[in-house]
Amino acid sequence: MIIALLWMLAIGLVATLVYVAGRLVYDAWGAVRQRRYDKSVGQLAPPWRDTKVLAIIAQLVFAIVVGVIFWYLWGNFRDRTDAIGLNLSFDFLDQPAGITIADNPLTPADTVGEAITAGFFNTIRIIIVGIPMAVVLGTIVGVARLSNNWLLRKLATGYVEFFRNIPPLVVIVFIWSGVYLTAFPRAADSWQPLNWFVFNNAKFAFPSIEGLDNFAAFRWVILLAVIAAISVVYWRTQVFIRTGAAHHRVLWGLGTLLGIGVIGYFALGGPVKFSLPTVDEAGRVYEGGIRMQMPYAALVTALVLYTATHISEIVRGSIQAVHKGQVEASEALALSGFQRYRFVILPQAMRIAFPPLINQFLNFSKNSSLALLIGFGEITSIISNLAGQSQPAPQLILILMLLYLVISLVLSAIGNLINRRLQIVGR
Amino acid sequence: MTNEISLLSTGEDPMSVPEAPRSSQKLSPGAWLKVNLFNSVTNSIITVVVGLIAAYVTWQAVAWVISKDFTIIRDTLRIFMIGQFPDDELWRLWVSGAILVIAIGLAAGALARNSYELAESQGLEPESSSVLDLVRRFWAIIAILLLFASFARTAQPKIGIVAVIILVFVVRQLAWSAPVAIRSRAVYISALLVVGSTLVVAGTSRLGGACVGIVVFAWALNESGRRDVAAMRGGRFVSWLLPLVVAAIVAAIVAAIGFDGYGWDDWGGIHVNLFTAVVGITLGMPFGILLALGRQSKLPVVRTASVLYIEFVRGVPLISLLLFSKLLLPLFLPIDMERPAALTLAIVVIMGFSAAYVAEIVRGGLQAVPKGQTEAAQALGLSPGAMQRMIVLPQALRAVIPAMVGQFIALFKDTTLLTTVAVLEFLDAATIANNQPQFLGKGLAPVTYLFVAVGFWAFSFTMSKESRRLEQRLGVGTR
Repeated sequence: MIIALLWMLAIGLVATLVYVAGRLVYDAWGAVRQRRYDKSVGQLAPPWRDTKVLAIIAQLVFAIVVGVIFWYLWGNFRDRTDAIGLNLSFDFLDQPAGITIADNPLTPADTVGEAITAGFFNTIRIIIVGIPMAVVLGTIVGVARLSNNWLLRKLATGYVEFFRNIPPLVVIVFIWSGVYLTAFPRAADSWQPLNWFVFNNAKFAFPSIEGLDNFAAFRWVILLAVIAAISVVYWRTQVFIRTGAAHHRVLWGLGTLLGIGVIGYFALGGPVKFSLPTVDEAGRVYEGGIRMQMPYAALVTALVLYTATHISEIVRGSIQAVHKGQVEASEALALSGFQRYRFVILPQAMRIAFPPLINQFLNFSKNSSLALLIGFGEITSIISNLAGQSQPAPQLILILMLLYLVISLVLSAIGNLINRRLQIVGR
Repeated sequence: MTNEISLLSTGEDPMSVPEAPRSSQKLSPGAWLKVNLFNSVTNSIITVVVGLIAAYVTWQAVAWVISKDFTIIRDTLRIFMIGQFPDDELWRLWVSGAILVIAIGLAAGALARNSYELAESQGLEPESSSVLDLVRRFWAIIAILLLFASFARTAQPKIGIVAVIILVFVVRQLAWSAPVAIRSRAVYISALLVVGSTLVVAGTSRLGGACVGIVVFAWALNESGRRDVAAMRGGRFVSWLLPLVVAAIVAAIVAAIGFDGYGWDDWGGIHVNLFTAVVGITLGMPFGILLALGRQSKLPVVRTASVLYIEFVRGVPLISLLLFSKLLLPLFLPIDMERPAALTLAIVVIMGFSAAYVAEIVRGGLQAVPKGQTEAAQALGLSPGAMQRMIVLPQALRAVIPAMVGQFIALFKDTTLLTTVAVLEFLDAATIANNQPQFLGKGLAPVTYLFVAVGFWAFSFTMSKESRRLEQRLGVGTR
């Protein structure tokens, strides 16, 4: 995967260079033809007064200057790497990494490539859990800041003004050391509410489901049920649009999902069971459930708290940007407060808020790199760890930046897609 | 609002709308309660539930803070403020701080008076700027400085900090009532003072001379513009040459003084955070403006290079760039050169980082300049360079001042990441304090982190409030 990405980067760079060089040649050719024509009609300007010629010369000079700087730096780089005998190939990706990641099946014998992949998926895990939480919290706080309840409004403002002005890294270490490490008991005397959860200052554990026989088949059934539910929701929406009959699409959708799921469950003879987490007396051995390390919990909590303040500002601004007539019209239709937000204000505010929201998502994903300082094994800390294990730093840093660029590009591509759709729906 | 999404945003929110003014008629306490807290059943429930939760959390927090022992801050305050700066060099910091404060007071007073008079002459309502108003605007910073002072063990820092606060007010009032001749040059004097305050610590060198020279050059150019030198015979030449000569002479003199400094290898504490943020954004700005112009350029080579640079830097986190500065940047230096200090390497990278963000901000400003302005400039026969310099950039830069302050705040907050490259900044000082043998294992980490959080909060909060005020005064959002 990593090698493929590197190839894509190389191809992209070469394509850009070829494109730019092509443009330059094309423009130069255009300038030559123009000058030939000018000469034939006897209006040839001297070259130092011809903007087309000047533009080409300026670009050539610029390209040469940049090229020379790069060539000089590359020369220095080769001198230094040769002096310390650094191998610049990517063969090290297949060497054993010699590191482990907490709560990850990775062993020291696994390769560097596998370690980097594991770190990358840990980063993805932070992003896909954190962003929805930040959006929900941010929206609630943003609406609360516009509430006509004085207390709620002031509290929301206080929360935003406090967390917005503290570096995210400080929020992270404070939540980690000040809240999670001190407020939760040691592993030996964990809290186990209902015997369903385990809370202590090393790990959180939650109930999960565990696959038994036929689990693979059951996954396909669930996928089928989800597709069926989406089609049913779509069908009910179409019926509603055509006839105006009540759609009840949520009920229909959930009904379909549950129906197929339950039938599949019994037909396959109970392929899954609930798995409750347990911890032994010493607080060492965990079994069952799904477990969450403390640094991960602290990181996600802190980033959510921090990002939500920025999101709430965006939400507030967008709500205030919705035309006042819309609110008055919804009041005239006697919509309740919830209905007013759900059907009139938020859909329109969403359209305004979306572009800056995507920027916050990108900020969130980049801030996930702060895990380096509290030791959660996401991509930045893995790379930094590997560089400490005397793996070659230049290639590692290149891979690190490349992976973040991929995350940023994918997020903004998804965002642009949704944004385009939001814009079309309304107008 | 543009619907186009670029790879990244500035640190601050692009649309911080001021809170809607609410009706401020006087109500009796009972009526006020009824209107604001209990005007419907839902609201009453919200008030009670939220109020109880808030009261509980506040109670817990206050009890927690009171129960904690702040001796650790008292004992290690010095590391928090200035890191491991040696005792016998300490006077440098005090002198530098005093000069800096004079520069700030001078610039603030003069600029406030100028804008006051401008508003008065145009029949607008001038902004009140009594000392009381200033205290109200900057209470957070004043409070945090007094908090720092209150933690000090000896009298010297206490007196010093209070004196510095008083000094800034006194200088501001003096600058306010200074004659026009001084006020109109206050910006240049302040800039010189700022450079000078750095030189007191870092010592004079060719680099310092160059910094002084640049400021002197800008000042002299401005002076020759005032005298209308360009209108004299051969004046266009003289108006450029004379400032250049003056600046070169001053730079040479400064470089030749040979005043030894104390290198920044051992700088530390909140001092380093403020310094890095200021230097990062100041050095990043010219480069960023060039990048923004490059991105708007019609020349494909220049535009592609600018876009590649900007989107690359904005697509990766600052930590990865700092790791680059630690592990790779030294490899690009000539082989016979010594490895520079970690802070130098970090500042180079932070400069490049903030340039990309400044470029995007400036691009927004450039796009906000009405097309009629460039067309009018072309109709007047200005060359493209003169058009950018005299017509487009002044308007664009004025429009982006608030966003620039936002970027500065974001950068200030990002300086916590310097801890990854082993620079002893404010947050790292907390780690050092916690690792002192007499405090180890006493669970004091939250106390130190709270102290750090409050320190950052005071500066960022004041600056973001000031930037919002500036935004309203410049009318940026309303055009």
